[in-house]
Amino acid sequence: MATTALHPAAPAYRSSLYDWVTTTDHKKIGILYVINSFVFFFIGGLLAMGVRLELAQPGLQFVADQTYNEIFTMHATFMIFLFVIPMLAGFGNYIVPLQIGAPDMAFPRINALSFWMLPLAGILLLLSFVTGGSAAAGWTSYSPLAQDRPLGAVGPGQDLWVVALVLIGTSSILGAVNFLVTMFKMRAPGMTLFRMPIMTWTVLVTSVLVLLATPVITSALIMLFIDRNYGGSFFDPANGGDAILYQNIFWFYSHPAVYVMVLPAMGMISEILPVFSRKPLFGYRAFVFATAAIGALGFSVWAHHMFTTGAVYLPFFSFVTFLIAIPTGVKMFNWIFTLWGGKLTLSTPLLFALGFLSMFLIGGINGAVSASVPVDFAIHDTYWVVAHLHYVLFGGSVFGIMGGLYYWFPKMTGRMMSESLGKVQFVLMFVGFNLTFFPMHQLGLAGMPRRIADYSSASGWNDLNLLATIGGFTIAASMLPLLWNVFVSLRSGEPAGDDPWEGNTLEWATSSPPPPYNFDHLPPIRSERPVFDQRHGDVPHTKTPPGPDRTQQIPAGR
Amino acid sequence: MARSPRTGRSPSARFGIRALVVGLILVVAVGAAIAVGVDVALTGQSFVSSFFPPVAVTDQGERIRDLYGIVFFIAVAIFFLVEGLIIWTVVRYKRRPGDDELPVQTHGNMIAETVWTVVPTIIVAFLFIISWQTLNVVDTVSATPETRIRAVAGQFQWSFDYLANDGKTVLYQQFLPTGEDGGMTVPTGRTIKLDLTSLDVIHAFYVPQFLFKRDVVPGRTNSFEFNVKDSDAGQTFRGQCAELCGAGHRIMLFEVHALTPADYDAWLQARIAEKAAAPTPAPSGAPAPSGEPAASGQPAASGQPATGAGPTLIVSAINVAFEQTALTGPANTPFKIEFDNKDASVPHNVAIHEGSPTGPELFKGEVFPGVAKKTYDVPALPAGAYAFVCTVHPNMTGTLTVN
Repeated sequence: MATTALHPAAPAYRSSLYDWVTTTDHKKIGILYVINSFVFFFIGGLLAMGVRLELAQPGLQFVADQTYNEIFTMHATFMIFLFVIPMLAGFGNYIVPLQIGAPDMAFPRINALSFWMLPLAGILLLLSFVTGGSAAAGWTSYSPLAQDRPLGAVGPGQDLWVVALVLIGTSSILGAVNFLVTMFKMRAPGMTLFRMPIMTWTVLVTSVLVLLATPVITSALIMLFIDRNYGGSFFDPANGGDAILYQNIFWFYSHPAVYVMVLPAMGMISEILPVFSRKPLFGYRAFVFATAAIGALGFSVWAHHMFTTGAVYLPFFSFVTFLIAIPTGVKMFNWIFTLWGGKLTLSTPLLFALGFLSMFLIGGINGAVSASVPVDFAIHDTYWVVAHLHYVLFGGSVFGIMGGLYYWFPKMTGRMMSESLGKVQFVLMFVGFNLTFFPMHQLGLAGMPRRIADYSSASGWNDLNLLATIGGFTIAASMLPLLWNVFVSLRSGEPAGDDPWEGNTLEWATSSPPPPYNFDHLPPIRSERPVFDQRHGDVPHTKTPPGPDRTQQIPAGR
Repeated sequence: MARSPRTGRSPSARFGIRALVVGLILVVAVGAAIAVGVDVALTGQSFVSSFFPPVAVTDQGERIRDLYGIVFFIAVAIFFLVEGLIIWTVVRYKRRPGDDELPVQTHGNMIAETVWTVVPTIIVAFLFIISWQTLNVVDTVSATPETRIRAVAGQFQWSFDYLANDGKTVLYQQFLPTGEDGGMTVPTGRTIKLDLTSLDVIHAFYVPQFLFKRDVVPGRTNSFEFNVKDSDAGQTFRGQCAELCGAGHRIMLFEVHALTPADYDAWLQARIAEKAAAPTPAPSGAPAPSGEPAASGQPAASGQPATGAGPTLIVSAINVAFEQTALTGPANTPFKIEFDNKDASVPHNVAIHEGSPTGPELFKGEVFPGVAKKTYDVPALPAGAYAFVCTVHPNMTGTLTVN
């Protein structure tokens, strides 16, 4: 029964602006990440409303073609690079040191640096709107359209985009190094790798992906910058460059980036499902291996974004893309059988986690559909793909993030969020999400391409577009109960106590919010659920017949 | 540890179930709304058919549609199975109020986990194999295609070159991407090899009813082959650029007209003969002398005889825009328009419409690619407000005041 004494309690918070700006505490930095990400979530959301408003009816009603291209380009840029990726990094920042029983991240100052690059990058991107127009070549910024040429990307907007993305990439790389060192060197005694919570595991795999892939896109961005400003000719065929090369380099990062955006969300719901069903995660090790397999395979599927370029060996990339469905399916069944036989409390975090399961299921299945190359010939670059990516990144990541917010808000603030408002938000968001993105499958099959500001009223796309717009505004409406909930709960939410949910992992073994350096004492760590073990140390761990014994009988330490 | 955990509060749990039920009911309602919407949108088509691509008009597209049918069926089956399992599990295992006992702590089950690894592996292996088989049929290039056409994409228009069997000699160039006398005309039944080249950025050749698209990449020539079905002779299919190519991306529309092989041959011969009779546009740098009726040697594309020697209006186009946005011409007098197309390889023309750019067309100058100049003879127009547009690029417009 070894307890571990860590740093003595540090002095109380100086909750001044100065303190927040200069902090190196991983929890404060994590909260800064979350707030910053929500700011850009709302900006990106407003841009999405612009897209839906314009497409609600045939005819150009609100914006010019070029403005429309700017809107959807910046919508995706904000959502991917300044919302989903940093939001998950922010939760990782807050949760990972707590979950492994560490007092802070390994490099607290680097941690602060990697956060502060993000608002800077966001400001650069916002500035592009007032310096002659933002980037408008899509978030993919394919060359030669993104080159400085007439009818291409003239003006500083595209350059600001490149610089902002390089900054964000640098921030991600620094963050990934920090996470990996923290996880490998700062785990509490007893916290073996295979006792790390799944959330921490997903952040580990994500960090490996970021570390290996982000320098690659950074090189593509710098080459594009040289092309645009210093007469380079890497990617412009008019000057002897290669347009396909840019796509290969871009997607070599940007496909793994999809897993960067979804794996930690999977980690979040893998924390929520066991707690709210009062059972351990079904098949912990299988889950870890599946996560690692998705990460590894993620590096070999980039060209499935390029099936129609005519410059890809199609069967290989089709095969590995299909393969990724297998570990993803393993996870899906592990989640469902975590619920199976449990006693489910349908609180808001679990509702969002269930939303993740049922919506990511669609995103996974239609991903496998588009792995079939001939089918992809029909649906590539249509609204079908827009539907698919939103079922993964919204149905998956955003529902996971919302679940994580409701789950860890009490830990971060010491106060509970309102369950009623949370459920109102869930229903609005779930319905709005499906109204918006489900019809896009049908629009794509009916031949509506992506990234068009207008369509003919004779095309037969009117009604489904109107439906999607109504759904889009329903999603926007679901933000109101969320904001009100956060506001009210911060002021007068019920005090949470240390462990309001009967959690399993170490963050619930300290106060809410945790003190600087996190723990005065740690419970003994003998499984991936140390807090559960402490609460129910004598509970029998039973196997289900007829399988062989895979129970983890609280071993006396490995 | 003695405090009552929030998870045990039963009103919260009941509200959770209610929220879930309300959510599910709303989803069903939404599904019904979509069903109705689609029935309205696609007259004569059912809800189910909105989940399928259009009926294919090519042999290759038909194979893709068959493959889609299998893939879609498996996808839907898996969806209902797993989604049903999720919903059933949630309803079956929800916690009853006051039940504070821990459930059985199951950590895993090797047999179950093996099953749900192996079965999906078999399914995706099957999907991969049937996809590969179809791919080998729909994405082949034969040694001797019967008809060769080249689609040339540029910001923001398509043009179509009809090639001889050597794949190089251009028999006829079609600069207008849409309309009765524009678009890509193809014979049914024959194997058509389509080469794709781009003048500037990446575009994509996409015809929904082919169930096919292929990128048009600068610096590389992509090709694919297709056979339009005999039963579709006389039909016109809508096509559109599918890769973002700039501000005019959405207007990069084109049409494909299918003719019987006999009609196609007659059509192509007529076009070649017509073209041979007409001279090529004057090269750049050799402009017709202003004010001189030098253009009288060039019959106007509109067939108007070059009679009067009215004033000459200067119009030029660069970067897919007219450099002049307002012109003034004489009333009731024929006049000339000297049109300078400065966009290399990009086809433009000047057409005059009554009132607005979408009004009735009164005059259409010949479409020709830059860099080149051409002088049009415009017939006499009554005083009034007109618009001039480029037929290829409807977003290129200006006003013409005749007084």
